[in-house]
Amino acid sequence: MLNVFQKLFSKLSVENIKIELMRTAYGTEETVLSRLDPRMLIVWSLFFTTVPWFIHNMTILIGLAVLMGVLAYMARVSPLLIVLLIIGVISQFTYLIFVALFLGGTFTALLAVIPLTIKIMIISLSSMAVFTSMDPEKFSDALLSFGVPGKFSFGVSYGYRMLPILIEEYQSIIQSFRLRGKMPAKKGILYWRYIVYFLKISVLAFYPMMLNTAKRTRTTVEALEIRGFSYSEENDLAKKLKLKALKMNKYDYQFVAITSVITICIINIGMFYPL
Amino acid sequence: MKLNVERKLTQSQKMMVFVLSMALFGLSKMITEILPSNEIGPIEFSVSYFAFIPLILCVLFHPLYAALGASVGKIIFADLLMGDFSGIGELEGFIQLTVGMYVAGLIVKNPLNKVQLTIAALVGVGMDQILSSVVDITKVWIGIEGFDAVPGLPESIVLLEAVSFVNEMVITGVLFGVIPTLILVPRLYGKIEPLLGMKPREKRVNASMAEFVKPGLITIVIVLGFVSMIAEFMAELDLNFAFWTSDFLLQFENGYEWIGISAGLIVLGLVLYIVKKIFSNKQQVEETIESNKRVL
Repeated sequence: MLNVFQKLFSKLSVENIKIELMRTAYGTEETVLSRLDPRMLIVWSLFFTTVPWFIHNMTILIGLAVLMGVLAYMARVSPLLIVLLIIGVISQFTYLIFVALFLGGTFTALLAVIPLTIKIMIISLSSMAVFTSMDPEKFSDALLSFGVPGKFSFGVSYGYRMLPILIEEYQSIIQSFRLRGKMPAKKGILYWRYIVYFLKISVLAFYPMMLNTAKRTRTTVEALEIRGFSYSEENDLAKKLKLKALKMNKYDYQFVAITSVITICIINIGMFYPL
Repeated sequence: MKLNVERKLTQSQKMMVFVLSMALFGLSKMITEILPSNEIGPIEFSVSYFAFIPLILCVLFHPLYAALGASVGKIIFADLLMGDFSGIGELEGFIQLTVGMYVAGLIVKNPLNKVQLTIAALVGVGMDQILSSVVDITKVWIGIEGFDAVPGLPESIVLLEAVSFVNEMVITGVLFGVIPTLILVPRLYGKIEPLLGMKPREKRVNASMAEFVKPGLITIVIVLGFVSMIAEFMAELDLNFAFWTSDFLLQFENGYEWIGISAGLIVLGLVLYIVKKIFSNKQQVEETIESNKRVL
């Protein structure tokens, strides 16, 4: 058991996190979901992130969770995100149980929490499956076509692209802080001296980080404005040209048809055999 | 109007402030997401976000764009990329953070005045936290039938929220809000602005409190607060109900859930429309000011 945890934590280095995020962000791999029209995918994921809240039938919920699990597997969601999801679900679970007990409930409250946990799982899995396999450019184009302000949709693709660079820079600043600085000599009770030291570094590292990012931001924005970013945002013709690449084709219709048939099946089964 | 003149930005500078705030706050939010948290029962001792980043940017640059950038960065980096996107529920956090940070930026008239900085940091984080506490309490209040009938229940809910509020204020508000802001603002002031190709804002601008506490701002705050509450109710309708009573749920069973869904969509549409309106109005005002200046 201990070994498993050690393995897990050895994988949780900053380097690995960066690689995983890069994979999520760049998403160039061909997966089942990556060829689909992003607009359709967004509507699809909105449906699956909203509907579970209104379903109170355990059979349907379990069915949907399995469906999302399969889709997430096919979309090759990174293990890091899965681990974070599990940690999140567990902590939410314990929190809710504690609140229920604290407020004079009994262990029946435990049973009441399970549907909620499954709902959170469905939502997270579906959004992970969609956003892992979607190309950031495609995603921002889809947002633009929904009438989301150009700033936001640009922010999305910028965020996805720049994040690995930003993390790397932050990491190197922290390392240089540590090289030049001195670790506290004593651990203190519960390592509190170390914790304070690292938190202090992580805050102070943002000082050079802010200046560097400001410089980089200026370069990016100037390059954008030279190409007329802000003005093309208001020009309908330019927008139309930009969004011309988005098309629904046969594959999209097949995907929608298959997933809706499966969902309807799950709902019907749930109606007849409610848990 | 004075604000627009004082911290007037060109189109690309607005974009720069927005992108800068988005990238930095998104990164920091991601770091806090990965940091482990210590929980003692329901009370969580963790950094919920590095409040000093949006605070510093709101103080030094135009607060609206910095605040919007920070909220957008949070959604994109921490929620979309980390697979933690909660749909309509995101709206609540977005509005709370934007309003809190915007107001904090408006409070500071002199970025080198420590008292103003402290007040702004506390007010900014405090508004965010108060809004979310009120939403949480109201959620339980409305969600539980016979709320008052259960002895000790209202008190314990309020107590729980109060404890978590104090805890958030100490960790996020002071340790990661006031202290870093006080250290970093004087160092960054005058240094970071030229990198974006702007002049540092003037130290003393005689803006009175009445200048920005206008009925318009107050209504926007109230309306947005209300909308965020509704959004949160829609997203977590089930959270309260599942716990306590199933009687209330039965009303939703027979196809009535569509009422909920459609109400949520209407609210979402309205908010997008309002935000768009505000955006275009602001831009128009600033552009007219700019063109007027040029004529003069």
